[in-house]
Amino acid sequence: MAPIIEIQNYSWRYSYAKMPALNGINLIIEEGAFVGIIGPNGSGKTTLAYSLDGLIPSQYRGIKQGAVNILGREVEAYPAGALQKLVGVVFSDPEAQFTAMTVEDELVFGMENLGLSVPEIRERLEWVTELAELGHLLEKPPYEISGGQKQRVALAAVLAMTPRVMILDEPTSMLDPVSRKRVFDVLVRLKEEQRNTIIVIEHNLENLASLADRMILLSNGELLLEDETHAFFEKMDLLLENGIHPPGAMLFIHRLMQEGYYASRLPLTVDEAAACLTEVVARLKPPGPASSRG
Amino acid sequence: MNKTLLGYVPEQSPIYAVHPFVKLFFLLVVSLFPMFIASPEWNLALMLFILGLMWLSRVDMRVLRIYVPMVISMGSVIFLSYTVLGGVHPEFGLAARIAGVNIYWERIRDASVVYARILPMIFTMVFFLSTSRERDVIVAMRSVRIPFVVTYVFAMALRAAGMVLEDFQIVRQAEQARGFDTAGKSIPYRIRKYVMYMIPLFALSLRRSEEFANALLARGYAFTGEASRVKRADYVLTHYSFRPADLLLTAAIGLAFAALLVLRFGFGYFELERSWFIAWLKTALD
Amino acid sequence: MATHAPSIPGAPGKMTAEQIWSVEAGERRPVGVIHIVILALLIGIGFVVGAFGSISFPLGFGVNFFWTGIAVQQVGAIWFGAWGVLAGTIFPFFSNAVAGTPFYISLAYVPANAVQAFLPAWAFRFFKADPRLQSGRDYLILLATMIVSSAFGALWSPLVVLRGFGLLTTESVPLFIWGWFGGNVIAGLVFNFILLKALSGVVIRTPSFVKRWLS
Repeated sequence: MAPIIEIQNYSWRYSYAKMPALNGINLIIEEGAFVGIIGPNGSGKTTLAYSLDGLIPSQYRGIKQGAVNILGREVEAYPAGALQKLVGVVFSDPEAQFTAMTVEDELVFGMENLGLSVPEIRERLEWVTELAELGHLLEKPPYEISGGQKQRVALAAVLAMTPRVMILDEPTSMLDPVSRKRVFDVLVRLKEEQRNTIIVIEHNLENLASLADRMILLSNGELLLEDETHAFFEKMDLLLENGIHPPGAMLFIHRLMQEGYYASRLPLTVDEAAACLTEVVARLKPPGPASSRG
Repeated sequence: MNKTLLGYVPEQSPIYAVHPFVKLFFLLVVSLFPMFIASPEWNLALMLFILGLMWLSRVDMRVLRIYVPMVISMGSVIFLSYTVLGGVHPEFGLAARIAGVNIYWERIRDASVVYARILPMIFTMVFFLSTSRERDVIVAMRSVRIPFVVTYVFAMALRAAGMVLEDFQIVRQAEQARGFDTAGKSIPYRIRKYVMYMIPLFALSLRRSEEFANALLARGYAFTGEASRVKRADYVLTHYSFRPADLLLTAAIGLAFAALLVLRFGFGYFELERSWFIAWLKTALD
Repeated sequence: MATHAPSIPGAPGKMTAEQIWSVEAGERRPVGVIHIVILALLIGIGFVVGAFGSISFPLGFGVNFFWTGIAVQQVGAIWFGAWGVLAGTIFPFFSNAVAGTPFYISLAYVPANAVQAFLPAWAFRFFKADPRLQSGRDYLILLATMIVSSAFGALWSPLVVLRGFGLLTTESVPLFIWGWFGGNVIAGLVFNFILLKALSGVVIRTPSFVKRWLS
């Protein structure tokens, strides 16, 4: 797979800030990958997301060094509106993303900006409505629906533009667990059915860990760790040092590993963890008396 | 229920069968009618007609309660302006003398004419606001090919107004949670304290501007450059069709206006001399 | 390679008024989506705040004893240049409409509102007054422009508009002139100074702040 994103020695310092928000970032993301980005607050995750979408430096004042390339071209080299055809961003606050009167208008807005025709819009509208389960909400004002529904609308609105890269900046931070799961269900479908490159910035790793192909750890503007997901979570001590809270099931098995009860691959999901525990218990269980019948 | 600019209208209302352009045309043209009608009875009849349209459209007539104090105060201001503050005019007929102030018949007549003119203008606007959803206004504007950026600014402004109102409630509740409430306090106190609301409201809106701009850019919207010249599909217009009935209504409104002008300037209708209301008022005051 | 570094020396607290309004050599200030958004937001805020004033303290025909919308009109124009002037011209039309002022009367008020928004914005830029109101001169410029612009509005609207529409007698025009003038100046005294003092320091750092007229 050819790289779709290439970041070379990239640093960004906002005007009036003493320290750079991102410092010396080098990163390559292959097309079609599902990448998770984690890090404590203030680590530069959102700055990175904005840098990939061209919002930095076009909308923010600061000092940039290095290069951010999308499909081999620097983000600043794209004319206004062109990069957004390739890179879509879903922000953490769905309320702040809505400028239309109805959910349908919200979904259609991006497609109209692309210059699509009415039949094309209709077709894509049907597709994203089905994907994100929004059929019953189309006539409603977007600010009158629930938080989870809002975030699905925001996701669908960006998806309707069929960007090659989708970036979701803490899409579930304001949602309850049920709504969070529904958003991730959409992401699961996207991963299975589409070939978008998906980058998710999240604090909550319960759902992200099982979906991501690769994980990135940012801290204080620096890229501390980048690896395939299983290998990423093997570096548990580094993650814990940097304030990352892996899923509880994963932490539990890690403790068993530290105690010497388990030495295989770290599980990413509760089901995998249950399988690990079953294996551990089976090994520890003393052999019982041979059963006899008759 | 469908939310209009001034409240809610049931989904079954006949007003939704009317194309938004017709509603806008009605507002623009019918607002002019009173300017050419001097006879108060005709203007009052127009006002009743508009109220009747509101009732037919199944608008919740309680929305009119907001305007009752304003209508009364405006009427008081007009009558005071014309009578008590009307000056000394020996050439006018004296209708009464109250506390040393001359009240002239011509001033009472003129005040009645002006007040009767204002009322249908106000209710034409109220009718429009109470039967038009935000989307309708956008569609009406797009139907007459007003540039997209203008209609979009208008839509965002409406959205912003809603958010400011929500923010106001939040800020007010936050202040109340700190034991700070304006209820039952004097006007100067309230004015001083509203300043404390304005600052966070402005600050919230400024922060929101950055988020809105990012959201627009993320959806590929551009104000300048090639992306701004993209031909837009105007998908929202596909939900509305300008039918023969709409054409008839538009024509009827236009013809009514033309007929009004012909009757007014060609045949002297709607003038004061022909007004039975003015004749009755004069008799009553004599 | 360093890019997009505004060469504004020092922290915003140390900037002079001259520096606030001056565009540095090489400084790029493109007109963008943010300005459209600011325009829309100012119209929205003004619509709510103006309608509050129109409904709460009415004299009649959109003239008010205490018009809170003046703050959005004038402070918005100082901060955001032509976008603020445009918003300040447009939003009273809507706030008056909701308050019951007839369509064509609201339309006829447009020149008055345009001048009320334009004059403070022009004066601050022309005289390089500090929007943070750091000196007596800044206060004086603001006060003077508030008075002059409201005086124009007060003459235009009752005299030209309301008298022209036949809604007022000649003798009652002074009441409405003073009502318009007083309603704007008093509300401006209450809100403009405090808003500028409290928020200008933040606003001038944002990309939406307009140094010239459009960006």
